Amino acid sequence: MLSLIIFLPLVGGIIILFTSKTNETLLKGIALGASLASFVLSLFMTALFKIGGGFQFLELGNWIPSLGIHYHLGVDGLSLPLIVLTALLSLLSVAYSWRIELRLKEYLFLFLLLETGMLGVFAALDFFLFYIFWEITLVPMYFLIGIWGGPRKEYAAIKFFLYTLVGSLAMLLAILVMYFNAQPHTFNMLTLIEQQPLAAKPVLAALAFWGFFLSFAIKVPMWPFHTWLPDAHVEAPTAGSVILAGVLLKMGTYGFVRVSLPMLPEAFRIYAPAVAVLALLGIVYGALVAMAQTDLKKLVAYSSVNHMGYVMLGVASAAAAAGIPEKAVAAATALNGAVFEMVAHGVITGALFLIVGVLYDFRAHTRGVDEFGGLGARLPMYTGITMVAMLASLGLPGLMGFVAEFFIFVGSFGIFPYLTVVAVTGVIFTAAMFLWTIQRIFLGPFNERWAGLPDMDTREKISLVPLAVLMVIFGLYPRPLLDVINAAMTTLVAMVR
Amino acid sequence: MTPPAVDLRLLVPELVVTATAVAVMLAGLFLPAGRQHLLRWLAAVGTLAALGTTLTAGADPTPAFAGMYVRDALTRVIQATALLAVLLAQWLSGEYVERTGLEAGEYYALMLVAALGAMLMAASSDLIMLFLGLETLSIPLYVLAAFARTDLRSQEAGLKYFLLGAFGTAFFLYGIALLFGATGSTGYRALAEHARTPAVIFQAGLALLTIGLAFKAAVVPFHFWAPDVYEGAPLPATAYMSVIAKVGAFAAFLRVYVVALAAQAGEWSTLLAAISVLTMIVGNVAALRQTSIKRLLAYSSIAHAGFILTGVVAGTPSGASAVAFYLLAYTFMTLGAFAVVLMLHRRGEEADQIADLTGVAWRAPALGGAMALFMVSLAGLPPTAGFLAKFYVFTAALDAGQIGVVVTGVLTSVVSAYYYLRVAYTMFTGQPHEDVGFAGGRWVTAALVTASAGVVVLGIFPGRVISFVQQVGQAMR
Amino acid sequence: MVVEVIIFVFAALGALAGGLGVVASRLPVRNALSLLLVLGSLAVTYLLLAAQFIAVLQVIVYAGAIVVLFLFVVMLLHRQLGAMSPDRLRWQGPVAIGLSAAFLILMLLTLRFATNAAAPAPAEFGTVESVGRALFTSFALPFEVASVILLVGIIAAVVIGRPASRPVAAPPRSSAPSPVGAPRR
Repeated sequence: MLSLIIFLPLVGGIIILFTSKTNETLLKGIALGASLASFVLSLFMTALFKIGGGFQFLELGNWIPSLGIHYHLGVDGLSLPLIVLTALLSLLSVAYSWRIELRLKEYLFLFLLLETGMLGVFAALDFFLFYIFWEITLVPMYFLIGIWGGPRKEYAAIKFFLYTLVGSLAMLLAILVMYFNAQPHTFNMLTLIEQQPLAAKPVLAALAFWGFFLSFAIKVPMWPFHTWLPDAHVEAPTAGSVILAGVLLKMGTYGFVRVSLPMLPEAFRIYAPAVAVLALLGIVYGALVAMAQTDLKKLVAYSSVNHMGYVMLGVASAAAAAGIPEKAVAAATALNGAVFEMVAHGVITGALFLIVGVLYDFRAHTRGVDEFGGLGARLPMYTGITMVAMLASLGLPGLMGFVAEFFIFVGSFGIFPYLTVVAVTGVIFTAAMFLWTIQRIFLGPFNERWAGLPDMDTREKISLVPLAVLMVIFGLYPRPLLDVINAAMTTLVAMVR
Repeated sequence: MTPPAVDLRLLVPELVVTATAVAVMLAGLFLPAGRQHLLRWLAAVGTLAALGTTLTAGADPTPAFAGMYVRDALTRVIQATALLAVLLAQWLSGEYVERTGLEAGEYYALMLVAALGAMLMAASSDLIMLFLGLETLSIPLYVLAAFARTDLRSQEAGLKYFLLGAFGTAFFLYGIALLFGATGSTGYRALAEHARTPAVIFQAGLALLTIGLAFKAAVVPFHFWAPDVYEGAPLPATAYMSVIAKVGAFAAFLRVYVVALAAQAGEWSTLLAAISVLTMIVGNVAALRQTSIKRLLAYSSIAHAGFILTGVVAGTPSGASAVAFYLLAYTFMTLGAFAVVLMLHRRGEEADQIADLTGVAWRAPALGGAMALFMVSLAGLPPTAGFLAKFYVFTAALDAGQIGVVVTGVLTSVVSAYYYLRVAYTMFTGQPHEDVGFAGGRWVTAALVTASAGVVVLGIFPGRVISFVQQVGQAMR
Repeated sequence: MVVEVIIFVFAALGALAGGLGVVASRLPVRNALSLLLVLGSLAVTYLLLAAQFIAVLQVIVYAGAIVVLFLFVVMLLHRQLGAMSPDRLRWQGPVAIGLSAAFLILMLLTLRFATNAAAPAPAEFGTVESVGRALFTSFALPFEVASVILLVGIIAAVVIGRPASRPVAAPPRSSAPSPVGAPRR
């Protein structure tokens, strides 16, 4: 079933390649059908998922037996929410891309290829497979930005590509270090977690840790590796930004939780304070820079730097507490918060980029925050959804973002009290930034330039309403999601100890 | 002195190739001008027959023909690669040769003889055989470079290649002479025996031998001829020589270093590691600034020589398998990239500038997709053959403790991604030039499809191919 | 021994002088005749090394046949050939001389330190009989491969020397880097 979820989009993409490019309705139909099928299957899988059952839906097959490489898939409480999130955001993005006119066929193919890559990263349990899926996401994203992007697309695309490529090659080296130190040599992630091949080799462990760190930190992106992100986000087409912010960034944090934490707990524990400080810098820097932006898309992009900082703070706190039994609860709480934030940020930021797209792509063709004003009265539906998303992003209680941040702060306060206190100030900046933005766009005197602006159409509602509903539901009743995550995180923390 | 046993059955693949070459040349003489296209069929059938006999031939590690020749697993794998290269290169050349009025009979015959040279190098068990194989490989390539003889640039390419090739050969021969002086024999076995207590003269001979091979493989600092020659030669000849020369030269590297001198890996690996690092850096950095696709691929072939050399540096059986796999992957991706360029023309001329590719992908999406695939593979990104090949050599080198080489390889791979992707990106943006048109045909399409399939299959389902190339390593244990 | 050394010195100097003549002279006739000197001196050296057969072959094939062929070509084409244009390379000459000298010194040092490992040559070494025996027994395969190389040489000569059969002005190939769509970087 897992393979089906992962490869259905690719199958759809290949069918699209062999479909006539003039029949646009059929092309869109295939793309929508493939991503919808994948999403429905992922929901079905969620229904069958047993909470606390460890890795499930395992698939193990020989792939390149002579090199010891297996086709190994499985999901646990960490990857399941991310897989569902990926399938959902991809579906909504395809739905949103209904109006793409330029090279529709290639666009849809690359998009579905990208979806397969992302789903694969979250499900792979063999390092080689993990790396392959990780890299598969690179090329489609490069072309999505490079062809369908904004004015500086070429620069943004190659910058994104080279940054992440440096990172992933560092990861490849780290993977090989793990591989050669395991007895017998293996790429199996579960075996590597069990074996802890580098436990007695601190120097190699440090090398492997920093190799993984470079890769994941660039992807997250942590300060100071974030400079590709604003460029890529601003230039990418709307659906590309949604996927980039909603899913691709999560691959970095997922890597920290899935790889660095359980496989190299000692090394991570030693360097956790450094990671936490970098996360903190990301939080404060992201919030402050976002405040200074007048470009709406850049603003959301920098708020991502800020939010991913929270996630990393949670992960680093959990890492710092590794091996200390009395801090296990705090560690689990922080990790729960971090993973919850990953999902929450995916939903919220995905929605925010769609919101920017709604305004920019088909209506105003400008993203200048100061150029609007008083839209609230004219576009009630749009305003409502935007308010929900922005308030969720700034962490208003009752919405999804709050739950996540609350858990992170509670957890990490027990481990890094001073850093956490500083981090909380980041929330204030974020709140100020979003409130100010809301005020500038929706309140105040109406700017007559936008008199003819229509409200959202059905297609845009279909893309956005589900996300807004999710923000509210999980904000008020986060229990189902938390249970899934918590079971996995408790196991993880116990394992690390 | 009894004459040694002559078992011609061992030589069947070589004999088939030679016979095909002669038959194609003679048929080219007698066929009327309108029916010259039949030569392609003849050459293709002969090559396929040779490929079949190579794959079905047994593997026997004991040298035959008085210690001159050995048909073991390494021979089989490399010969199969060489035959595949010549097959694809024939298909690539099909329409081009016809369009430009080159003499098809001689053209295909020379290609086949060059492949024969590479096959003999792979099968050599003696320095004399290695030398003769090298010459059988090189001389046809000199001629192929100058094949468009009314074109000044082609003449220049041929002459330059010939002079520098002869220069390299002189070093090679000098090395053999010194080794003969040190060991009293030209066989690899004598080499292996004397390597335990190497005299100065032995080391000097080995160094000169390496220089000669480095010339052929276009490895830094012996690479200066490559860009000029590649640029001047006719496009399909460039494609072919960039592949077959590598196959032959690296077969020789494997035979001399990994097989004969395996016990002394510690002594020569440092030297080769230095060459490899230098090659990767120079090749990749120089490729950044190229505007001609031929020159770009020339530097790319230099860079790939560096990557392949890392497998030799490892000096282990798995390193040898990795080199064999890399050669196969390199054959597919390089010939594929050239096939894309061959599908285009600029006012009847070769469309050999990167700028000529602008926007082509929107007029021919399949062509653009194929080029993107080959560029991604050349850059070494999954899920393509290029990634697995790099992964394989780097793993082997890491296993042998060559960390510095691997780190350099990884970093220069990032550099290479920049210029490869630029080519793919160019195809997908901007308005196509009005001057650029399509010059495809059935044969070059067949080559393109085969190469694409090869790149994808080797990248995603490499299991069988990897166990095939692993015979190389197993034979060495 | 002394006599041999004297002969060797003369032969070596002759070969060197001939080599210089081949490279340095701008008149094709002088180049060809200098080559004759090189080949002749080498034949003497081979004799000193007890390689009679090779020495004889050297004289018959190279000096006798090939150089004479060169001279014929020069004679028949001397109007077109004339004197070669002066060298346009500037710094390459001195650098080449320097590097060659360095290589020479390196090789001399290497040979200086070489222990005399090789066994003395057997008595019949280099005779026609022993060479023939070797060629048709242990070197049978290389001998056959060499014939393929010669065949390629003939094909090469034909291909390159043949006049353009069809009135194709110039094969359609790109001539100069196009200014259209200048490279991005």
